Amino acid sequence: MRFLIASFSKDLARWRQDPMAALLWLAIPFLIGGLITLMVDGGDGASPTGLLLINDQDDSLLSGAIAGAYSQGQLGELILVELVSLDEGTERINNGDASGFLIIPDGFTAAFLNEEPVTLTLKTNPSQTILPGIIQDVTEILLDLGFYAQALFGPEIDKIQTADTATVPDDVFAADIAVQIQGKMDTVSPHLFPPAFDVQVVEPPPSEPRPDIALLFLPGIVLMALLFSAQGMSADFWKERETGALRRLVSTPGLLSGFVYGKALAAAVIVALLGGITLTLGFLYHEVTWSKFIPSMLWITIAGVGLFAWFAALQMLFPNQKAANLLTSILLFPLLMMGGSFFPLDVLPEWIASIGRMSPNGFVADRLTKELTSPTAWTFDGKSWAIILTMTVSGLAICTWRLQTGFARR
Amino acid sequence: MLAVENLVKQYGDLAAVNNVSFGASKGSVFGLLGPNGAGKSTTINCISGLLSPTSGRISVAGADIVKDSKNAKRSLGVVPQELALYEDLPAIENLRYWGKAYGLRGSALDARVQEVLDHIGLADRARDFPKTFSGGMKRRLNFGCGIVHKPGVLLLDEPTVGVDPQSRQRLFDLVETERDAGACVLYTTHYMEEAERLCDSLAIIDHGQIIAQGSVGELKAKLGARDVLQLNGDFPGTDMNTSLAGSGISDLEVISQEDGVLTLTMSSASQHLPTIFEKITSAGGSVSETSLRSPNLETLFLLLTGKELRE
Repeated sequence: MRFLIASFSKDLARWRQDPMAALLWLAIPFLIGGLITLMVDGGDGASPTGLLLINDQDDSLLSGAIAGAYSQGQLGELILVELVSLDEGTERINNGDASGFLIIPDGFTAAFLNEEPVTLTLKTNPSQTILPGIIQDVTEILLDLGFYAQALFGPEIDKIQTADTATVPDDVFAADIAVQIQGKMDTVSPHLFPPAFDVQVVEPPPSEPRPDIALLFLPGIVLMALLFSAQGMSADFWKERETGALRRLVSTPGLLSGFVYGKALAAAVIVALLGGITLTLGFLYHEVTWSKFIPSMLWITIAGVGLFAWFAALQMLFPNQKAANLLTSILLFPLLMMGGSFFPLDVLPEWIASIGRMSPNGFVADRLTKELTSPTAWTFDGKSWAIILTMTVSGLAICTWRLQTGFARR
Repeated sequence: MLAVENLVKQYGDLAAVNNVSFGASKGSVFGLLGPNGAGKSTTINCISGLLSPTSGRISVAGADIVKDSKNAKRSLGVVPQELALYEDLPAIENLRYWGKAYGLRGSALDARVQEVLDHIGLADRARDFPKTFSGGMKRRLNFGCGIVHKPGVLLLDEPTVGVDPQSRQRLFDLVETERDAGACVLYTTHYMEEAERLCDSLAIIDHGQIIAQGSVGELKAKLGARDVLQLNGDFPGTDMNTSLAGSGISDLEVISQEDGVLTLTMSSASQHLPTIFEKITSAGGSVSETSLRSPNLETLFLLLTGKELRE
């Protein structure tokens, strides 16, 4: 036990001398995780907004209606409309300050009513891809609507146009127009209503609220930090062997098991530190309930030591340090891929996810994901805890066995 | 204090150590002298518990290294050939760690660490990291880590490999201080001068076997006053034993004759050179280079094995 503490404090003191390693183990997952979170969680759902400049030279009811049409409904969330002068609009669209610039010429209403050709000018911003296209499409639809309205209700529009605008139209005039329009509507309505197709709105079955997609990445990011640190720390067995410290240790009465468990304890502190930082930031960002913090820490610390132990056991199987480091580094990436560090298991196809859950880090990440996204308190699932404890203890036992059976003696 | 009896270490068909026996007492330095690959390190590794002997018995301060390894190891200090140090721990922490590995604690550990730092001349660099030390300083710290628990038996496996002359001298002083303090020191080397300088008694080892053993004086006496004469030249198909038989030199002995090198031993060799050259020439040979050496451990090794100690 005393030598275990000596081994623990020795390793901790040595890791203190190498803060860059710990920073790297933390920085890489943070960088990757930060980018992923920004990609899936950026902009909190707000749609991009384009700006349409309109120079209304006609200044009529109809031209006003066109300008107003861009601000209606969901289109209004996409496009902001601003009335400008011709010079200002030209200057701003040339500077790329708007998505589009629509010029409604003087005489637009008269031409429309008289079924005469008229040209609306729409200048779009070539540096934008989506919004100018939407503006162009909407403009064309509005003009088509105008064409069909003119074709269908042309006589009625003419009557309104030619009516004496100085006085208020009498009831007979209004009723006459209304009857004529209604008659035409009755004629065309069998063709228009009901539509040839039927849309049945089906309410989706009630389901559990889907967790925040960015939160699904958090366990994977934590596990990434754990994997990097576990793999990095496991290489220390080789370092000590290369200096001859392990051989010297064998000639002392100090127990090799004490040495291994001391190292594991130091690894636990590093893992807890790195995992703690990652978790704290994750909890703050995703507003996870803090009652889950302690069990999460315990879970990742035990799992981190287990990963360290298995990486170390694997390292000690190789004939030299170079091969050991290379192959454990190569192993890192499939583990990260499978274990949900790049793509959360919950968003992967089920067959891939089920394979991922069988990887050590995938198992740990999956369990952590379930707990962090669950609306209820942490569930102490005995089976899962038994699995990671077994993984950790067996990994450390293999390390001790390897040291005793030759690794430390060469 | 240290007893090795009929030690055998076998790797398949190869006997790295073959029936080696020797003993060393308290307050003495016992040397294992031999060329690289002779079996010195294997012997030391068996004594330190790194290797399990195939057969034989090793006793350290009365405890069997195999059956009672914990007690045997308590009395054992090892200074390995390599620098078994933590470069990322200050010198004092290196000493403290190895002290703890031997069971030292608290004030006893602190006091002993300070004593060792003074002893190895690193007291003023105690808080510095070994990575900032010179090669000689690292060697001294390596030595310090092996003696921090005041071992009864100290194993030094070629501790001066790659060390400059000044640091080597300092290491010799450290070894002598340990010996004078009562430690039993087992010192392996392939440097004859080191063995002559430090060892009270020694064994010459080659191909895993001890070929001579005794005090330095006793071993030198085996050579008598005979010099070793080495001749380089051309000795085509000539058996020089026969050719030199009628030279009239009473104690002349041919040690070896191979690859154009003829090694002879005799007393007052310089006086017999003309006779020897004449005999060689008349036998159809020729001599191109001559070297004459007075008796020492190296010439003894040459006499016993027919090859140089540093080959």
